[in-house]
Amino acid sequence: MPEPIVEARDVAKVYQLGKTEVHALRHVDLVVERGEFLSIAGPSGSGKTTLLNLIGGVDVPTSGTVWVDGEDTSKLTERALTRLRLDHIGFIFQTFNLVAVLTVFQNVEFPLLLQGRMTSEERRRRVNELLESVGLADHSRHRPSELSGGQRQRVAVARALVARPPLVLADEPTANLDSKTGGTIIDLMREMNLRDGTTFIFSTHDPKVMAHASAIVRLEDGRVVGREALQGAEA
Amino acid sequence: MSGRASSRVRQGKILVEMAMRNLVASRVRTLVVGGIVALGVVVVVLGSSLLDSIDAGMTRSIQGSLGGHIQLYNAKSRDPLALYGGTMGESVLEPIEDFAKLKSAALAVPGVKQVVPMGIDQAMVSMGNVFDVALERLRADVRRRQEQGAPAEDPDYEAHKAHLRRMATLLQQELRQAREIADETSGVYKDRKADFDALEQAVQGGFWDRFDEDPLGSLEFLENRVAPLSLDGGFTFIRYVGTDPEAFQKAFPGAQVVEGTAIPPGQRGVLLGKLYAEEWLKLRAARRLDKIKEARELHGRKISKDEELQRWVKENTGQTRDILLQLDPVRTREAVRRLQEALRSRETDPARLVAVLLDTDDANFDERYRIFYDRLAPLLQLYSVKVGDTITIKAPSRSGYVNSVNVPVHGFVEFRGLERSALAGMMSVMDVHSWRDLYGYLTPERAAEIRKLKERAGATSIAREDAEAALFGGGGDAAAPTAAPQAIDESKLLGTMGARQMRDELFQRRYGQAETDQGVALNAAVILEDPRRIAETMPRLVEAARQAGIEVKAMTWLEASGIVGQSMRLLRMVLYLAVLIIFAVALVIINNAMVMATLQRVKEIGTMRAIGAQRRFVLVLVVVEVVTTGLVFGGLGAGLGILLVHVVGWTGGIAATNDTMYFLFSGPALIPRLGTASLLSSVAIVFAVSILSALYPAVLAMRVTPIEAMQSDE
Repeated sequence: MPEPIVEARDVAKVYQLGKTEVHALRHVDLVVERGEFLSIAGPSGSGKTTLLNLIGGVDVPTSGTVWVDGEDTSKLTERALTRLRLDHIGFIFQTFNLVAVLTVFQNVEFPLLLQGRMTSEERRRRVNELLESVGLADHSRHRPSELSGGQRQRVAVARALVARPPLVLADEPTANLDSKTGGTIIDLMREMNLRDGTTFIFSTHDPKVMAHASAIVRLEDGRVVGREALQGAEA
Repeated sequence: MSGRASSRVRQGKILVEMAMRNLVASRVRTLVVGGIVALGVVVVVLGSSLLDSIDAGMTRSIQGSLGGHIQLYNAKSRDPLALYGGTMGESVLEPIEDFAKLKSAALAVPGVKQVVPMGIDQAMVSMGNVFDVALERLRADVRRRQEQGAPAEDPDYEAHKAHLRRMATLLQQELRQAREIADETSGVYKDRKADFDALEQAVQGGFWDRFDEDPLGSLEFLENRVAPLSLDGGFTFIRYVGTDPEAFQKAFPGAQVVEGTAIPPGQRGVLLGKLYAEEWLKLRAARRLDKIKEARELHGRKISKDEELQRWVKENTGQTRDILLQLDPVRTREAVRRLQEALRSRETDPARLVAVLLDTDDANFDERYRIFYDRLAPLLQLYSVKVGDTITIKAPSRSGYVNSVNVPVHGFVEFRGLERSALAGMMSVMDVHSWRDLYGYLTPERAAEIRKLKERAGATSIAREDAEAALFGGGGDAAAPTAAPQAIDESKLLGTMGARQMRDELFQRRYGQAETDQGVALNAAVILEDPRRIAETMPRLVEAARQAGIEVKAMTWLEASGIVGQSMRLLRMVLYLAVLIIFAVALVIINNAMVMATLQRVKEIGTMRAIGAQRRFVLVLVVVEVVTTGLVFGGLGAGLGILLVHVVGWTGGIAATNDTMYFLFSGPALIPRLGTASLLSSVAIVFAVSILSALYPAVLAMRVTPIEAMQSDE
């Protein structure tokens, strides 16, 4: 049995908001196996984003431990955390977050450039391959501002996957899209999950989106209140 | 290994590309920031090119006219040496007693090319007036008639008498006008009553009928009672440098003889400063015409709109006497004829004609100016001193008595680049022997000379103090009998009839180089083979002099030039201050613009950080943006500055519109020259300013956490 891609043990996160302490997460335990297509569900303010941030290594827990691909994130330096994000995690954001001045191609290429391991020829092939699979091969020279919301999020998906990370995190990836477009994005993610075995963890409060997941973790008031596997969704 | 390096290169490429695109994306900000940088660089390039040219020009002017490279003066002096005068008047220097010793010591120092003795001082020079000139002419006639007998027909003599009578008449008319205004009961009036009576007498026909009976007595009357009523003439001040003229000419190529000839080697003489002559020796009406012409042509001033020009015109039409007094009856007739023709007038009164000529306005000025110089001026003596004249200079000597020497004027001298400087252009150049006489320092050679003179005059012995006491009022009075045998000195002898040959002999005399060098000087200008060696040579000169037993202080030419040199330093400071202010403003603006840009891009920066960009990537991104802006627009600014420098050069440079500018520019126009130093410094400044102004926004950008990327837009 390979080690889980993500493991959280008794994780708590406390924010200081003025004089009051906000307990965003309390005693959270979570194990995510490789290849899962996991949805984190819950009302807003339940701690979905905080949990994703801790898993993504952009934030560290107040107490408890988070392992990502075998690394204890609280033991990593800022540099090493950044390196972890670059090599092991892909990010998809609610607001797409493409770099406005770069073309579609360059946005997708960006993580590869930061990694600096590939020749330009290898990069070109990889980027084109991904743009093909998200259906934007014809738009590689466009700027993000020339694309629709759905198209932008596809670019974001391509960017998240281009470096072939074992884990992709998506925080409310469909919240800024209409339900039809949101559905195709989730389908696209699921397709990639099934094809490459990439683990996806995405947060949502939309039941229709949750329905696509292989498992759902429910959060309420910063606590995990349940984890359910969905029938027929297992790869 | 190469993978790591090439990955850096690739990262660098996307980084630069992102930076460029960010700059293009926010065009307005980039243009504002870049515009300020470009402006700053233009100011640096143009300003420092101008300053460098001014600096080079002034260096050439000052070094080449009086300063040399190093100046030496007696270390015991109370004041520092100030070649162009200090703020408190002439600096008081202790003398260098034996210049020859200092010269040989200094010449032994390696790299020293020439050592020139100098002594700078101010003195009074008596100009005499037109009356004196006319009297001198008549006196010559009388002397001739006494020696050779009076011919029956003597037109010169008659014309000269008529001239003097005419002058007296003019003078009387002028004083009568003043008298009408004056209160007849006042004390001043009573004091002057005798003057008016004397003048009345000089105008009367009877006086002139009896003139031939007692020509000498009549001359004396005119000279003592009438001539002093003429208000012009008297004294002016002259500033001069006493030096070895031959060495001076070699050491200071900037000193150019513009009229006459150089002082012959080893001889006595003076070269009057051209500007000094223009300001003080030129006929005032002509001088005022020159000034009006310059004001109109150089500064575009209009007589109709300018009170000062109107005043000059008024003074010219009101003060025609200077001109009329110079004209004897023959010349008066000629002047009337010429002016009637040129002005198409039937006026017969010369005074009215001259007044009409000088009553200029904007429409007729150029024509009148031409008429004055082409038609009237040839009949006049424009300068009260001309080449070949002898002037009498009186200066307080060291012991407090006034020394007086006669010096022949060999020519007029102009200091290239300093022609118009009131401080530097006034300087006259005098032979060191005359200077030593004025300075009153008794040299062995001079003592021997006086001994010889005393033998000829039959004097026995004389104390130095007595000799100087006898100098009061010496010179000029040719009609006086031979001097009393007890108190004799060269100057006194020069004033007497018997001493005339002595004076000529003195002027003809040639001094050897040893005589010129052996004696007192106040400072010594040292010329080096290599002007860059000034700093290292100064202490060597001081040491060499000390070993020769002379304690001297050394000064650079710039220090010695005093206020003149300081104006240069001041200009440079003003430019630096301007550059400093511009770039301080630029720094603040660039900083603000980039902070704004960073704040606007927090989400984007957070995203890049989340995706895996290291902090350094973000830091470099901001720095690259600012530095690129700086270099691109700095380059544009430099290009524009270079272009401007050339354009200014092609269009003949910046014209000097006043004397101060003329002086600063060392000539009529300033042609800026591009210096590599100014270009390099502008690049360095731009680089430093962009890095500095990028620092804070870059740190701000670096602190953006990836969490920022997760926030939704709202």
